[in-house]
Amino acid sequence: MISIKLNPQELGDSGGIQKVCEKIVAEEENVTKQLENLLSRQCHLEAKLRSVTKALPNLQIVKSDAQHLSEMIAHTSNLAENVSAKVRKLDDARSRVSECQQRVHDLLDLQLCSEGVKLALQEEDYEKGAAHVHRFLSMDQTLLRQTADDVQQDCTAVTNSFSLLHKAAELLQTEVTARFDEAVRADDLASVERFFKIFPLLGLQDQGLNKFSVFLCSKLQETAQKNLRAALETRSADKRASVLYADTLTLLFEGIARIIEIHQPLIESYYGPGRLLTVANALQEECDRQSKLILNEFRKHRQLDSALAQVADWLRSANSSSSSANTSGATTSQQSRTDPKNLDLLLGELTIMHARAEMYVRFIRRRVQNDVEVGVSAEVTRGLLMDKLETMLRASGLCHSMQALLGNYLQLEHYFMAESVRKAVALDQLEENLQIQQTSSMVDDVFFIVRKCIRRAISSSSLDGVCAVLNNACSLLEADYCSVLRAQLRHGYMSGYLDLTQAYNALQSSIQQGRLQASDSEKARLTFLAYLNNADVSTEYIATLRLSLGDEMAAALPGMTERDRAKLESCLSGLGGVTASLRALVEYGMSQLSASAIKPRVSPWVDAFLNVSHVLTEEEFSSYEANEPFVRNLVANLESLLSSFKSSLTPTNYDTLVSILATEVTHQMEKVIAKSSFNRLGGLVLDKEVRVLVGYLTNATSWSIRDKFARLTQIATVLNLERASEISDYWSNEPGAIAWRLTPAEVRHFMTLRTDFRSEDIKRIKL
Amino acid sequence: MPKRHFKIQGEPLLYSCYDDVVFIYIQFIMEDYKFLFKVVLVGNAGVGKTCLVRRFTQGLFPPGQGATIGVDFMIKTVEIDGEKVKLQIWDTAGQERFRSITQSYYRSAHALILVYDISCQPTFDCLPDWLREIEEYASNKVLRILVGNKMDREDREIPMHVGEDFAQRHDMYFLETSAKEAENVEKLFMEIAAELMEQARSKELPRYDTNSPTINGRTTSIGDSNCCSKLS
Ligand SMILES: Nc1nc2c(ncn2[C@@H]2O[C@H](COP(=O)(O)OP(=O)(O)O)[C@@H](O)[C@H]2O)c(=O)[nH]1
Ligand SMILES: [Mg+2]
Repeated sequence: MISIKLNPQELGDSGGIQKVCEKIVAEEENVTKQLENLLSRQCHLEAKLRSVTKALPNLQIVKSDAQHLSEMIAHTSNLAENVSAKVRKLDDARSRVSECQQRVHDLLDLQLCSEGVKLALQEEDYEKGAAHVHRFLSMDQTLLRQTADDVQQDCTAVTNSFSLLHKAAELLQTEVTARFDEAVRADDLASVERFFKIFPLLGLQDQGLNKFSVFLCSKLQETAQKNLRAALETRSADKRASVLYADTLTLLFEGIARIIEIHQPLIESYYGPGRLLTVANALQEECDRQSKLILNEFRKHRQLDSALAQVADWLRSANSSSSSANTSGATTSQQSRTDPKNLDLLLGELTIMHARAEMYVRFIRRRVQNDVEVGVSAEVTRGLLMDKLETMLRASGLCHSMQALLGNYLQLEHYFMAESVRKAVALDQLEENLQIQQTSSMVDDVFFIVRKCIRRAISSSSLDGVCAVLNNACSLLEADYCSVLRAQLRHGYMSGYLDLTQAYNALQSSIQQGRLQASDSEKARLTFLAYLNNADVSTEYIATLRLSLGDEMAAALPGMTERDRAKLESCLSGLGGVTASLRALVEYGMSQLSASAIKPRVSPWVDAFLNVSHVLTEEEFSSYEANEPFVRNLVANLESLLSSFKSSLTPTNYDTLVSILATEVTHQMEKVIAKSSFNRLGGLVLDKEVRVLVGYLTNATSWSIRDKFARLTQIATVLNLERASEISDYWSNEPGAIAWRLTPAEVRHFMTLRTDFRSEDIKRIKL
Repeated sequence: MPKRHFKIQGEPLLYSCYDDVVFIYIQFIMEDYKFLFKVVLVGNAGVGKTCLVRRFTQGLFPPGQGATIGVDFMIKTVEIDGEKVKLQIWDTAGQERFRSITQSYYRSAHALILVYDISCQPTFDCLPDWLREIEEYASNKVLRILVGNKMDREDREIPMHVGEDFAQRHDMYFLETSAKEAENVEKLFMEIAAELMEQARSKELPRYDTNSPTINGRTTSIGDSNCCSKLS
């Protein structure tokens, strides 16, 4: 216990000894404490010992119980192991038994089959025979031979059965094939179907399907040729004569659809789903052949190629004449041109053909897709099969023919539209009285034609076709149509006469010289206004056209993708370009009108202001106020000017005219005011006059043009001040105050027109 | 107030007094771009037009897609000098039977890319026919670019200078590209966009109108541009 080590060196002196002694004392204390501690627990330990001694006998019992339990568990486990092994064995045995049973069944069936086949063949009951062979083909032949060995049976019986059945299967194959072919030859549909059903029983799915497809194709060919013959024999007076070839093509497609409709269930139940693609492939080849025959006849009898050649000629001459402006050459070639009307029926038939082919392709796609979805579980395989279908369709003769046909249609439609529009322009007629018809006849005609062509394109069910016709329509409208309008508007209103008097004088002299008739000038004026209206109404027609086409296309071309829609939208927006061109034309025409009919006439009316003094005495003032001669005259003149146009212009054009007039009048009013002098009463008169003028003009239009008069009204306000200093009441930067259109310098300048304002006062004003 | 430059696309919402016409175009309000250009690709089937467009718009070289039918349509918005430029790219089918469809797109095109295959002489030999079509149908203001595609191929049949000469003779820009290796494809379209933007800015409001005697923007920009023609 004493842990102090005595180091002899430490004991060398008293200090060392002392230290050691202290350590020892400390240690002793420590030991004593520990001893006390131990002793204090003695009592407690003794009590514990006593209780342990008491519990000892009980432990003995627990131990023996535990031993007992352990033995029991071991026993149970043993038992369980034994049982489960037995169960396993039993299970093995049972499956062997059932396997055995199967083989015995097979063996028995083998026997039955071989006997049955013999009998069936004798009785020509091919279904039964094939069922036996089918049963036989489902057996595991090597296993059967083994079983026969195992059960020590005579193996020869089995081998015999095998060879018999093999032979029977072969026999059945040749027999069924022969019978099938025979049925095809005899056109015995019931037998064809009967033997078609037998092929899969003999494990000949592919062969059966191919043979059946060939049969279906031959049926298809037969009907198609019969239909084509009937078409060629149809009299031209027949109701359907104009769509004869479209009808024949439709019959072909319907024939295929019917074949698929009728035979798909048969194929599905006897060959399983997922097999339609094979049949569709074969049918497509026949469809390609037959559609080509129909289209050849169509081309020949409708003289498609000569029509196309003429259109190509026309296009060439149109392009060369537009570049060299050789009009005489253009007129000669015009005579030999086909009347576009003659193409009407052909164009209709072309679009029907294309639409029917589209419908047919959609049908095939839908059917094959349904079949693949039912029959093929793997998504990847499904995708591959559908890709295969798409590739097949894309490469098919039908699709190529239809693409070519659509191209032909577009060429002819291009011609139809351009020539019809040209004719409409050439036959343009003007109602003598614009109050009855504000536009000339070509607007309605042109838009009727354009709409008709686009609608026809829509009926082809081809998005590319619609887009192309839209593009061509936009070109035609923006280039040809607009240039016709522009050419007319360029002549100007009144054929360039500056005002009525000038025109009248010129007219008089030319009538005297016998050169011109009065109606020519009148006619030119009317034509100008009508063309101005034409341009305006055209923008409305385009807006309507665009709206209605959007809806019609959505209905006629279902299943458009997002990209298709964007494509269509982009082509439709070409119409917006046409609208912009038309607006520019209206603007151009209006500036012409303004230059010849507004500006020169307004000037003298407004200049009359200078004849009236605006420095008035009270007396003069009251007499002037009673009559307001200047402004009443001006308004009367404006009224007569506007009313001469009101019923001859479209509302939009009329409003534009009022707006131009307002600009012109205010502009000139400013000028004459600047040349006049005013006193207080004169300012008052001016203010009234301006109010009357503004009131009249703002009421003359449905547009809000009050803003145009802001400067004029403000000038009147300035000239109508009581005192020069009063201007500061009006001139303010606070919100809600007048938004001045006059600069401070202008305000000052106009104030100097007041004879009663002193120039020092004006200078003193702070603006 | 600076004039905002835009293509007139939609219908006006408001049309009031003519001398201070306020056109508010729906498209102008809704779409966030200032320039819209139509680019049309033409050339024989199989020269790689579709691949060029896919490379540019989707950044990929499509494996074995079928030949284009009719006209295909793609949009890509790019940024030039901080301005959004929307390119509407029309990819046409090369075969004769689609000609009527594709021709209808020429007139409104701002740029025409004529493509041939540098490893296939016949595609080069057809170029004059294509040019004739372009002359016939396209606006004379259209930007024309000759592109020799498949420059990655070892079996070249058309030396580069031959293509360059042809382009120069016919007043076209020239560039060789590879859709497969993404060579010069981005450059082709970006420079077209930049050039068209330059043209549009130098004019008031671009119009397709062939009759109006507006400036022919192209001739002025041909020699001095850094587009295509100078590239090696
Ligand atoms: N080596 C090479 N092959 C290309 C390139 N571009 C296209 N092709 C191949 O040329 C073929 C036709 O391409 P495609 O884009 O369909 O031609 P398109 O008919 O002009 O649209 C495809 O097999 C492409 O893989 C290229 O840059 N290099
Ligand atoms: Mg392509």
